[in-house]
Amino acid sequence: MRYLLRRLVTSLVVVLGVVTITFITSRLVPSDPASLYAGPRARPEQVERVRQELNLDAPVVNQYASYLTDLATGDLGVSFATRRSIAADLVQFLPATLELALLATGLSMLIGIPLGVIAAGRRGARTGSKASKARRQRSDAGIRLFAVTSVSVPVFWTALLFQMIFAGELDLLPLSGRTSSSVSFREWTGFFLIDSVLSGSPSNVWDVIKHLMLPVAVMAAYPLGLTIRLIRGSMLEVLGEPFIEAARLAGIDERTVMYRLALKNALAPALTILGLTFAYSVSSAFLVEAVFNWPGIGRYLTDAIVRIDFPVITAAALVITVIYVVVNLGLDLLQVRLDPRVELD
Amino acid sequence: MGFRRLLAVAMGLSLLATACGDSGSDEAGSGGGRFVYANPFPISDLDPSSAFSSENVVLQNVYETLTTYNPPGASDLVSGALAESWEANDDATVWTFNLREGVTFHDGAALTAQAVVDSLQRTIDLDLGAAFILLPIDSMEAVDDLTVQFNLAYPAPMDLVMSSNYGVYIMSPEAVSQDDAWFNEGNEAGTGPYTISSFTPGESTVLTQYEDYWGGWTDGQIAEAEIQLVEDPVLAEQLVRGGDADFTYNLPFDSYDALSSEDGLTVVRAQSMTNLFGLLNHERLSPEVREAMVLSFPYDDVVESLYGGESSRAQGIVPQAVWGSSDSLTLPETDLARAAELISAAGAEGTEVTYSFDAGTTEQQQIGEVWKTNLADIGIDLVLDPLTFDARWEIAQADPANAQDVFTMFWFPTFVTPYDFLFSLFHSEDAPFFNLGYYSNPEFDTLIDDGDAVSGLSPDEAADLFTKAQQILIEDNAAVFMLDVPNTEVISSDVEGHVANPAYANVVRFYNLTR
Amino acid sequence: MGGPVASSSARRGLLPGLATPTPGSAVWYYRRSPLGLLAAGVIAVFVVAAVAAPWLTPFADQGRGDAELPSRLMAPNAVNWLGTDDLGRDILARLLFGARTALIVAVGVVAAAVIIGVLVGAIAGYFGGWVDEILMRITDTFLAFPPLLLAVVVAAALGPSLRNTIVAIAVSWWPWYARQVRAQVLSLRERPFVQALQVVGVPTRQIITRHVIPNAMTPVWVQSTADLGAAVLTAAGLSFVGLGPRPPTADWGVMIADGRQFVLSGQWWIAGFAGLAITLVALAFNLMGDVIRDVTDPKTRGNL
Repeated sequence: MRYLLRRLVTSLVVVLGVVTITFITSRLVPSDPASLYAGPRARPEQVERVRQELNLDAPVVNQYASYLTDLATGDLGVSFATRRSIAADLVQFLPATLELALLATGLSMLIGIPLGVIAAGRRGARTGSKASKARRQRSDAGIRLFAVTSVSVPVFWTALLFQMIFAGELDLLPLSGRTSSSVSFREWTGFFLIDSVLSGSPSNVWDVIKHLMLPVAVMAAYPLGLTIRLIRGSMLEVLGEPFIEAARLAGIDERTVMYRLALKNALAPALTILGLTFAYSVSSAFLVEAVFNWPGIGRYLTDAIVRIDFPVITAAALVITVIYVVVNLGLDLLQVRLDPRVELD
Repeated sequence: MGFRRLLAVAMGLSLLATACGDSGSDEAGSGGGRFVYANPFPISDLDPSSAFSSENVVLQNVYETLTTYNPPGASDLVSGALAESWEANDDATVWTFNLREGVTFHDGAALTAQAVVDSLQRTIDLDLGAAFILLPIDSMEAVDDLTVQFNLAYPAPMDLVMSSNYGVYIMSPEAVSQDDAWFNEGNEAGTGPYTISSFTPGESTVLTQYEDYWGGWTDGQIAEAEIQLVEDPVLAEQLVRGGDADFTYNLPFDSYDALSSEDGLTVVRAQSMTNLFGLLNHERLSPEVREAMVLSFPYDDVVESLYGGESSRAQGIVPQAVWGSSDSLTLPETDLARAAELISAAGAEGTEVTYSFDAGTTEQQQIGEVWKTNLADIGIDLVLDPLTFDARWEIAQADPANAQDVFTMFWFPTFVTPYDFLFSLFHSEDAPFFNLGYYSNPEFDTLIDDGDAVSGLSPDEAADLFTKAQQILIEDNAAVFMLDVPNTEVISSDVEGHVANPAYANVVRFYNLTR
Repeated sequence: MGGPVASSSARRGLLPGLATPTPGSAVWYYRRSPLGLLAAGVIAVFVVAAVAAPWLTPFADQGRGDAELPSRLMAPNAVNWLGTDDLGRDILARLLFGARTALIVAVGVVAAAVIIGVLVGAIAGYFGGWVDEILMRITDTFLAFPPLLLAVVVAAALGPSLRNTIVAIAVSWWPWYARQVRAQVLSLRERPFVQALQVVGVPTRQIITRHVIPNAMTPVWVQSTADLGAAVLTAAGLSFVGLGPRPPTADWGVMIADGRQFVLSGQWWIAGFAGLAITLVALAFNLMGDVIRDVTDPKTRGNL
């Protein structure tokens, strides 16, 4: 309980820290938010009036204080560039990013965990001839190389490559966007996979899936490499422990040893990667979203950065941080429940 | 699992995609009267009184103005839209517009003179966006139900003003009383042929026919138009190629040749009223250096290579598509030898010259890079300084002596008149506003002010004065006049009726289309 | 915090698999690790390219940014081995000068992050108490920042330039080093030789800089090798969204961004080679990091 409280306080401090840092950095920018708000070709009187309206002529400390007060009441303010409510924008853009990030996380787990286990198994190969051992160890090396490659490729380049191949050359998948322009359905949740199913039309669902394929695949590459490396490492550590040795000596077959005993124990510490992968996907989404014209929070953020629209930058950073912190907090707690070796505090 | 297995799985997945791929790809096809506009710029403000950028793509279909500016080739500059006729007094200070009968707003209200007055007053009161074009108005009155009279504080061409892309849209009395939030939720009440049926910020705007449009409807017209945000030119190109979009622009200039040979697509090459130039800082650059800058600019290279021959070299500061422009001005040619002489005579070798441009704007950046290559040959180091426009503007307005040396920017007229370019960019200013080369020449000021005063009554006489003024700018090396930005569009070939009008660049009037 | 020390390095994908001990010396190990050698080779080529760029190409001016419009968008050929970009510049020359940019950023980021991180970590670990508490709370705040986000925000705030890219990334990276060094110092502090130095009356500053920090550096060197690759990758990402060095400085991320529009029309070589360069360099540093980690930490020794 004390642990939980302490973690909650730390998380709050972190969120406050993020808000403060983005607020401060946004004030360092050489730009005039008032003239951004007033629009192109605004006359000096107009800009001055806007400056007063937005309280931009107040001392920075006061602006910071009033910003925090607004935040505390759930008011994220309005965009200086579009004058739209940021909260409304976020509600609209966030599901698109979450849908991508969740699917990418799922995909990387689905492929990454088995590959990690296989690699660890091959690495610690004990049975068979010398030649077969060497062969098996080579496949461990192969998987490791695959893993390290997928964390070394720039995601926006993979995106481009995939677009060139699957959308350009082969013309199999759509180049970008969430749906074809002719497809429309009621957006109940903002998660198009769910919404299209609710629409009851299989062709809608298929359209949504086709649009998801490339961005999800691209986004999953980095977390996939991460997952393989971490699962493999965690497995090898467990495999080195005495109880595994004992199980093997007792004649329990290798499959049971690997999946029943080792993986079960290796999975708990590896849980953190789930959070990491997801959080990484959310915060690196801007690179993928830029290439696939994906109307998510990442693109919302980069658009704001290009225009130096700092209420939006701060709010988007805040939301991403909250997701990140909450996911990590949740997983840490879950890990404590699952893994008796991790002690409270 | 070995790599071969992995590869096999990957191939299997792609085969699956092929197998199912054909079922859904052609849905966008003919669709009967649906039109998809791939819009490279976001719709960020739907308030007709304050919108001041690419929103006109939507607004021009939903709202109407009193007059419209005619495409090139017409005998008159403007035609009536909501106004059927108009007249001005002898010194262009009192203008009377007679409105069309039987026009209704989308909320059912009838168009009245009072609605016009209230709509324009809303723009004046909000004082945002293009509100400044209404500054000449001293008072407005609804003389009767269908007659509006403007009393001006000084002469102004109100027929041209009322054809502007911004700030002069007429809306229903109900809409006048709403705030910008109401409009930006996708609400509207104009008189135009289309209504907004859905608006998703950052994604798309869907327009559908307004049944009671005063112009009436016939078969084959566009029933529904979607304006879809596609910021990435690469994607926009792919969408029009694949038939998923019917129209786009702002593509890489190298693309158009390939697209024009594509079946089902037509490339429309039109003029625009937007130009690109670099204002030379008169506080920091000596006349010799300014002249050398002008002579070192790669005019032909830029037009031929960077714009793939789509653009044309600027003939002074007023674009060719604007009335009152001139094609008889004496222009400088690229002459590196002469430029080098000037620099060495001035002892200016090794000078650093800063080139301020819009971050992320490829054309401005590449022009800077090519120019930099030329300038390096004559001993000038051009330093490229990318920033957002408002950051650049703030620096430029602060202190001319410490500001940029070259301020590169695009400009378009808020309503069509040479005076917009000449006045905004070169008229003497007490404090810098858009004259960011800090140019000041009383003789020039007088010429253009006189030209403006007569432009409502005698455009020809005004044009002469503006031409004289432009020649002075060239002789003074006030700026580097780079190019008139090409307005090249791609549209599906099965759609007829699109006319590219430079005054409303990239606006597609869906009402005029049939497919 | 539970877990973050292990997970923090994993955040950037740099945590190698922990392997069971295998007997053998470092030399034996290298002999059994052809990939490690290959990685070393790629890194050597990268460094030579960066340092000697002007002498390795006849198109050094183009590498620095000079346009050559008549030869724009040429496919790879006998003169321009890897083709030219849309301003007619030789791609190979741009890659070589881009290596220079990448190397400066990578070394700059890691050096800055190491210096700040080591100082903060050493001070916090050595003094403990409220100093430790305050410094580590600050560190945790930075650690909890979503990866990339801080770099993007800072780069946007500072404006595009090489120096700012370095600052932006370093600001978000130093906490990892701070945590690592602190953990090392915490245990060093209790070691007899440090306590002996204290008793003898050696000035604290000297103890920290001469004795504590040098002994705490091993994990830092291991981490920083892999981080060099991650820095190249991150900087490329920033450049790709327009937060990179000023034009016309050659930069791999910018080359991908610029080359993008030409990829679908068949002119793949601008973005293609730049992406390949980033991948190879990042891969080489990551592999190298694994190798060094395995060599220095007998517990994790395993074959690649």
